[in-house]
Amino acid sequence: MIDLLGYGGFFLSTALIFGLIALGLNLQWGLTGLFNVGIAGFVAIGAYSSAILTTPETVDRVGGFGWPIVAGWLAAAAITATAAAFTGYATLRLKSDYLAITTFGVAVVVQLVALNAQSLTGGPFGVAFIPRPFASVQDQSVLFNLSNLGVIAAVTLAVYLALERLSRSPWGRVLRALREDERAAIALGKSAQSYRVQAFAVGGAVMGLAGAVQAHFIGFIAPDNYLPTLTFQVWAMLMVGGSGSNRGALLGAIVVWAIWVGSGSVTAALVPADLQARAASLQIVAIGVMLCLILLWRPQGFFGSGRSPK
Amino acid sequence: MSLQFLLDGLIAGSMIGLGAIGVTLTYSILRFSNFAHGDFMAWGAYAALAVVGALGGSTPIAPLSFGWPLLAAMVVAMGLTALLALVLDALLFGRLRARGQSIIVVMASFGASMALRSLLEFMFTSSPTYFSRAIQMATPIGFGVRITADQVALLILTLALVTGMHLFMQRSQRGREMRAYSQNPALARVVGIDVAKVIRATWIIGAALACAAGVMVGVLVQIRPLMGLDLLLPIFAAAILGGIGSVPGAVLGGLIIGLSEAAAVQFVGAEWRAAVAFVILMAVLLVRPMGLYGVAER
Amino acid sequence: MSILQVNALVAGYEPGLSIVKGASIHAAEAEIVVILGPNGAGKSSLIKAIAGLVPITGGQVLLDGRDMTAVPAHLKIRQGLAFVPQTENIFPLMTVEENLRVAGGVLPRADVAPRIEEMFTAFPDLARQRALMAGSLSGGQRQMLAVARALIVRPRVLVLDEPSAGLSPKLVEQVFSRLSEIRQAGLTIVLVEQNARAALAIGDRAYVLVEGREAHEGPAKTLWDDPIIAELYLGHRKEAS
Repeated sequence: MIDLLGYGGFFLSTALIFGLIALGLNLQWGLTGLFNVGIAGFVAIGAYSSAILTTPETVDRVGGFGWPIVAGWLAAAAITATAAAFTGYATLRLKSDYLAITTFGVAVVVQLVALNAQSLTGGPFGVAFIPRPFASVQDQSVLFNLSNLGVIAAVTLAVYLALERLSRSPWGRVLRALREDERAAIALGKSAQSYRVQAFAVGGAVMGLAGAVQAHFIGFIAPDNYLPTLTFQVWAMLMVGGSGSNRGALLGAIVVWAIWVGSGSVTAALVPADLQARAASLQIVAIGVMLCLILLWRPQGFFGSGRSPK
Repeated sequence: MSLQFLLDGLIAGSMIGLGAIGVTLTYSILRFSNFAHGDFMAWGAYAALAVVGALGGSTPIAPLSFGWPLLAAMVVAMGLTALLALVLDALLFGRLRARGQSIIVVMASFGASMALRSLLEFMFTSSPTYFSRAIQMATPIGFGVRITADQVALLILTLALVTGMHLFMQRSQRGREMRAYSQNPALARVVGIDVAKVIRATWIIGAALACAAGVMVGVLVQIRPLMGLDLLLPIFAAAILGGIGSVPGAVLGGLIIGLSEAAAVQFVGAEWRAAVAFVILMAVLLVRPMGLYGVAER
Repeated sequence: MSILQVNALVAGYEPGLSIVKGASIHAAEAEIVVILGPNGAGKSSLIKAIAGLVPITGGQVLLDGRDMTAVPAHLKIRQGLAFVPQTENIFPLMTVEENLRVAGGVLPRADVAPRIEEMFTAFPDLARQRALMAGSLSGGQRQMLAVARALIVRPRVLVLDEPSAGLSPKLVEQVFSRLSEIRQAGLTIVLVEQNARAALAIGDRAYVLVEGREAHEGPAKTLWDDPIIAELYLGHRKEAS
């Protein structure tokens, strides 16, 4: 029973972190219609930024700044926002496909830097000893997991409320108008582009924050955490939940993560060990097919506002 | 200093160029960036591998590492890859395209790409495989450059495919129709062009060339489920660098990207190779988004 | 016997938002029919619907008695109905000759080359520029190319959307006298025009379209002289002119 509670805390924490990323994506895609195929890259930028700024000194890597965790999180959000703003600035005056291609490239390059810039990122071994909140109770796993869940839930709630406010503000109304009325966007011209860059940057900040929160929750990061599969999972979450709705993004994250973990443990239990890697690929096939089916038959998602984005 | 990297770049660039032709045509005619295009390469390579296996072994044509069965298998695989593209279009892309939201089609191609790639991993595992494990002798041709018979053969094949493609686009009625449709879809319908046939031709050509490129990568390097994903960014960068819609531009863009990658490997370090395409892409988008041969977006 | 017959046509881009609201027109063999009307009357949408570019939700389009209502745009030309849009009516990145050749795809293969030469004989200006990119042509030449491109398949009905748009008065005269000549060869022409004076000068019959429906019909000459119509819809006052 106690174990279950601890595991439940761990599961929900992970799901909520995905939910945070999905909230960032919902601002970019659901509200503004900007297509980001490099989510993993932006999450990684946040995770690495905070990890580098908060970890104690190590011999073969830049670091030893020893910042407090919260400062690391804020820096992660700011740095990721800057990267997203630059990506948006370079591409948002062009056709929407160019943003998609460029974000894809961002994820490739971030992955490359994570792997190869050893003195900055620790290379393939990643960054360890990232300070964890409530590290003092690390031995009591239930208490530790639940207190971390509390922190993550609080961050998620804060971001959720902030985004809800933002989307109802005049700023959010402009974004929605830009997405729905191409003529209005053209009439606004330069300032339309600037609104989109802002939305992309704020969405990026949320993704970076999520990456940082996750890094500190696990205590260790490596390039493998930020493969295209991550991008893909978050898209599936938002599409299941219903793009355009922040609540849908969170619910979608929990549901898809439950399906992912559930199907993972079913295959682990049923499939012989030597075929597990193959079974894991089938899991991704299933999610890919599901994403396509949702696009075909239920573009508004399952928990959304019932309106599909343009 | 050895100039070997120039040859390596030329070869890598020609495969990128073959892939970029498909991307540039899909973008200019079907109006979306197909993220599954790289996976057509991988599927094409595995299809050729399966057909070669079915045809049984035979002695290679000396001095090549492969024989007629591989060439026959490549032709069959090109057909199969085209079929895959047509099926995907009928089930997925075509239906979404009819709703008129091009970015949704991009997203679907992203989902399809993930599914296609993982399906290959499921069927063939993620470990690399080869058409032939024979080691080829490389002949020195001066300036410290060494070339294998396979490389010569595949460069000639690329040249033939690109030339054929160029002539098709310029001289054949279907090629003219494809160009016309990419310039003005509504007018194309008015002058009697059957859009369905243009779309079909676009998929067939794009997928067949992607398959050819995939087989070449398989012959010269190796076959892996992720081979297409790794080439996707260079392919997109080449298509944009060349100017969307331009076949010669796509090939030239591919060569430039291939040569730049090879130069980066030579002078910076092999581990940074994959960043080259991104740097060029960003430079093009910031300086000349219409590319070398492109015209401003309407 | 009218070769083109449009009965109570209803059409629009979005369901429930009809722009053409029950328009009926017809055109006889070798007749020039002019469609006039105030801005937003649905003139352009009416002929685009006839050409198959705007979805039709009601009514009928008959060509020579055959129902063409549901025939898709790219097949209409094979039935003898050619359309020249108002703008972007050529392929700018193809040569003049390629523009004709791509449209010739509808013809039997052996017929294409001789037909192109016939068009170049009929339009000597274009012949001189056959290898030039169509996008580099002047406005008047573009219009001529668009007309030649439509004629290459020997249509029975030629439908034009504002052929005078953006042309100088001199070029308008050239284009319109050209249309007159084409009619001499037995072709039926339907054109939408803002330039009522020029169009009515070559037209046989005219319709005035108001709010998606034909409001007046009459011989071109008398329509120009009708003071009420002139004042209401054609933008000139009879007394003042």
